[in-house]
Amino acid sequence: MPKKKQELDFAKGFAELEEITQWFERGEPDLDQGLAKFTRAAELTKQLRERLVEAENTIKEIRTKSD
Amino acid sequence: MHVMTVSAFLSFVNETFKAIWDSTGVAVEGEVSGFKISQGQWVNFDLKDETSTLSVFMVVRDLHVPVQDGMRVRLFGFPRVYPKYGKFSFNAEKVELVGEGTLRKALALLRQKLELEGLFDPSRKRALPKYPSRIALIASRESAAYGDFIRIVNERWRGLSVDLYHVIVQGDQAPGQIVKAIEAVQSQPYDAIVLTRGGGSFEELMAFNDERLVRAIHASRIPTLVGIGHERDITLAEEAADVRGSTPTDCARRLVPDRGEVLFGLAQSQKRMRDVLAQWLEDWSHSVEYAVEAVGRWLVMLQDRLAATDRLLRSLDPSGVLKRGYAMVLDEKGAVRTRAAGLIVNQPLLVRFQDGDVNTKVTSAPASPTLKPVQPTLFYAEKETGT
Repeated sequence: MPKKKQELDFAKGFAELEEITQWFERGEPDLDQGLAKFTRAAELTKQLRERLVEAENTIKEIRTKSD
Repeated sequence: MHVMTVSAFLSFVNETFKAIWDSTGVAVEGEVSGFKISQGQWVNFDLKDETSTLSVFMVVRDLHVPVQDGMRVRLFGFPRVYPKYGKFSFNAEKVELVGEGTLRKALALLRQKLELEGLFDPSRKRALPKYPSRIALIASRESAAYGDFIRIVNERWRGLSVDLYHVIVQGDQAPGQIVKAIEAVQSQPYDAIVLTRGGGSFEELMAFNDERLVRAIHASRIPTLVGIGHERDITLAEEAADVRGSTPTDCARRLVPDRGEVLFGLAQSQKRMRDVLAQWLEDWSHSVEYAVEAVGRWLVMLQDRLAATDRLLRSLDPSGVLKRGYAMVLDEKGAVRTRAAGLIVNQPLLVRFQDGDVNTKVTSAPASPTLKPVQPTLFYAEKETGT
């Protein structure tokens, strides 16, 4: 079952956030880019945090043809 | 009297055996001796007990367990006389291993074979995705393993979609069902396959040492996580898996991260970014301060230079010179006369002092030009004598 489009994909969200964190750790001071990236990171963090707090795990039994 | 041909007799005997023998409900048990495989297709060995020997024949494709001399086995099949040579044998259709010793021996043989084929090669093992969103869980819905796994996943993570493929996890039917489930999930976009069951005796766990199952795990295009709850033995299914969990609970821990830790990590990474930005801002403001100071120093330097230039200009201003006691001589046309030569008697001149001009005239002819030159542009004139 494909996920709803508006739902943040955990893997992609975390990967993007990790990339931003690494960008900051590389330490090439660029205030303009830094501020833009920080804003994006804050947005991602908020969404990931919300999902981690609010989302539920779903369990569904699948029957194969031979069942 | 009824006379039969040899062929007819043997055919009658074989049909009778088949009719009276329950090939699935009755097994013959004994020890294997003289095991051999011919042309990669035919299997022959003797099955023995303390006093008797039975010749056994079977085809390789029906043999799903490794067999070796000395093993105790149960054979399912039917008795038959091979018409060409009149040889009596047992046509085995299924072999079951008997006793832990035999099972262990068979397991060792299979492990060795599969290891040689590279099924347990660590270099081909894949990592599980760090944040899975959809997984296939192959387990028995009634098992404690299933309950434990789900409980820990719910404790640790959110937003995971679990598709359960219910299977039986021990006995003859188990390997076939599990293999089918593994094959069924291959076409779905799962991030991982989890195969798990709780602990059990060595024999109960033998389903997870089944060659077909091990090969299916090895062939899976989706990363596999296998955890069988037991202490001593690692099953071949676990060895073939990309990741092994020691128990169903451990599988859940390996599958999903702990959200408490992840939330903490999120906060930490945001703090780190904020700190870096703050540092950059501080560095930037220091640079601005430094620049402002540099501009200030430059302005002071500029002022100094302006003052110096001003002083220079002032020193060049004739009025300044006049103030120091010199006077300037101009002729009637207003031109500055810097030499005596060329002046004539009675020529009107204007002598300029610092505070005003005085008209005068030449009263004597200028001295000879060979005389020492006087001050070129200015001459020193006592005010008293000039008037």
